[in-house]
Amino acid sequence: MTWGVVQVFADQEPHIPGKDETMIPPNETFYGALQKKGVTRRRFLKFCTAMTATLALPPRYVAQVASALEKTKKPVLVWLQFQDCAGNSEAILRSSHPSVLEVVLDLLSWEYHEIIMAGAGHQAEAALQRVVKEEKGKYLAVVEGAIPLADDGVYCTVAGKTAISIAKEVCTNAAATIAAGACAWYGGLVAASPNPTGAVGISEAVPEAKVVNLGGCPQNPANTAAVLVHYLTFGELPALDQYNRPLFAYGRVIHDQCERRAHYDAGRYVQEWGDEGHRRGWCLYKMGCKGPQTTFNCPSVRFNDSTSWPVKAGHGCVGCGGYNFWETKSPFYERLPNVPGFGADVSAGKIGIGITAAVAGATVVHGIASAVRDRMRTTPPPEKI
Amino acid sequence: MGSLAPGQHAWSEAHRPYPTTLPVRTYVWELPVRVSHWFIVLSIAVLSFTGYYMHNPFIVATSRTQFLMARIRFIHEIAAAVFISAFILRMYWFFVGNDWSSWRSFWPIHKRQWRGMGQMVAYYSFLKKDLVHHVGHNALAAVTYLLMFTFMLLEIITGLTLYTWVRGSWLLGWLFRWIPGVIDIQHLRLLHFCIMFTFFAFVIHHVYSAVLVSWEERNGLIESIFTGYKFVPRHELEEDAKLPK
Ligand code: HEM
Ligand code: SF4
Repeated sequence: MTWGVVQVFADQEPHIPGKDETMIPPNETFYGALQKKGVTRRRFLKFCTAMTATLALPPRYVAQVASALEKTKKPVLVWLQFQDCAGNSEAILRSSHPSVLEVVLDLLSWEYHEIIMAGAGHQAEAALQRVVKEEKGKYLAVVEGAIPLADDGVYCTVAGKTAISIAKEVCTNAAATIAAGACAWYGGLVAASPNPTGAVGISEAVPEAKVVNLGGCPQNPANTAAVLVHYLTFGELPALDQYNRPLFAYGRVIHDQCERRAHYDAGRYVQEWGDEGHRRGWCLYKMGCKGPQTTFNCPSVRFNDSTSWPVKAGHGCVGCGGYNFWETKSPFYERLPNVPGFGADVSAGKIGIGITAAVAGATVVHGIASAVRDRMRTTPPPEKI
Repeated sequence: MGSLAPGQHAWSEAHRPYPTTLPVRTYVWELPVRVSHWFIVLSIAVLSFTGYYMHNPFIVATSRTQFLMARIRFIHEIAAAVFISAFILRMYWFFVGNDWSSWRSFWPIHKRQWRGMGQMVAYYSFLKKDLVHHVGHNALAAVTYLLMFTFMLLEIITGLTLYTWVRGSWLLGWLFRWIPGVIDIQHLRLLHFCIMFTFFAFVIHHVYSAVLVSWEERNGLIESIFTGYKFVPRHELEEDAKLPK
């Protein structure tokens, strides 16, 4: 039972023969399923190559990835959505990249995804229940969105159950949970100050769950696919950093991979939106680019079929892949954060220059006063010398 | 003050005993103290200029090949190495140097040091007319230096953390890589940037008070950081030698 997920997308892909074969049994091998859909071996290997590159593995792993995927049985996946904007779902759906689309959709047997499942109501919830019971310990869960904990979690309910109770049930029984996007990781925008709903990420809400965090707003679908491919190829999750983010995607600073980096080093900066430097593609450092502070693989993997990413499109990085970026990387168009206790339009530089000037002024005044004091001293008689 | 007649001087009653014992040329600041002082001054000047450029690249290059920012960053990193070395030398001298440069002279561990601070504050705020003389640092200056050494250490820690963010060896990584997990990298930069202004404020005050005290004490204070020698009246020197360290 696959809720017609694949059907929706097969309809958008007229060039794939055999598109009416949409019901792929969950226990079929992945490659078999792809073949049925008419995906050629060439395209399959292209996908394997792209995934191997995303995982930062050397090319000789392509064969291993391919043979593992050929044999692998389609694991079941459920996609939960809580306090979110559906941006991570959209990011996956927008990837017209045939390989990512087909693979993410066909690699797995998608049993539950609110946005794209055909079923609704009791039928849909029954499918989720079936997965949790029958596939216990074997299925993968993807969580999108934050989980509110304030007031017993009433600020987000699905089918009459709170997000926290659904997450507890689904994520503790899953083989692994992927937190897709900033909100699922640590609460994201929803948890940004003042966080009225007490939103947290999945690791905090369900500490027992085995979680891979894919930060970003949204996460990059290529990375999500690569995590799945890694899991299917090697039977384990990829190496993770201290935030449980995969190192292949979050191990390097954006600034070190950026195509505008030569302009940064040369000292050529955009000073104003639309100025000469901006038109010539110079570095966005002075426009508040947070590329130097953020680790992510956007410059190499990019979004929308590797078409572009924010800096390539001419906008500075806002650091969405970093922890708590709404708080720590803002203001997005300034070099440094605001100084706590001062207003939003007083920069650290202005405060610093102000303090320095005040000290200089006070020193001048003190100097004059000291000179006066010195003059007022009584002169001792000359014989004392 | 230039208005004094020949043979006259501006010492007040409180200074009376001063001319009665002759000033002794005293070696106060040993070579490592002076060397570290000047390397710290130089490197902070270079670090502040290059650091400010890294914060706000006020010159936008037109050349593709001069690598303005890359070079400025390189100079910042070299100057940082000089700064750290000078700082370490001074820290070392805390433990092997003479009494006036020992770490003990910086911490307000004696009651007289707290009293000394009160006297200095009273002097600076014009509540007290005359300066109490010291062979080494006065107690107020000493705690200010202690504060500045702390800021320098903080600047080094934040700087090395920013450095390991992009580069660095296993040792630096092991020492500093955990820090951005505790304070995020943007706020570390903010800290690194703001501490710079404490140096600016300090330098203004430091140069001013050195000139002022040098003038008041007539002891060659300004020259002493070049030569190491101060001119201290014998009785003051004897009193200083009697103080418990
Ligand atoms: C007196 C000492 C220092 C001063 C005044 C100083 C000043 C600055 C300033 C103003 C910045 C720009 C911050 C911003 O982006 O707004 C900076 C950046 C930096 N400083 Fe320093 N600094 C000092 C010492 C050091 C030391 C000891 C190191 C050690 C390696 C260091 C390493 C760095 C690095 C790596 C950056 C680059 C940040 C980045 O753009 O990635 N600094 N410094
Ligand atoms: S645009 Fe941003 S990431 Fe790219 S070089 Fe400039 S500062 Fe670095």
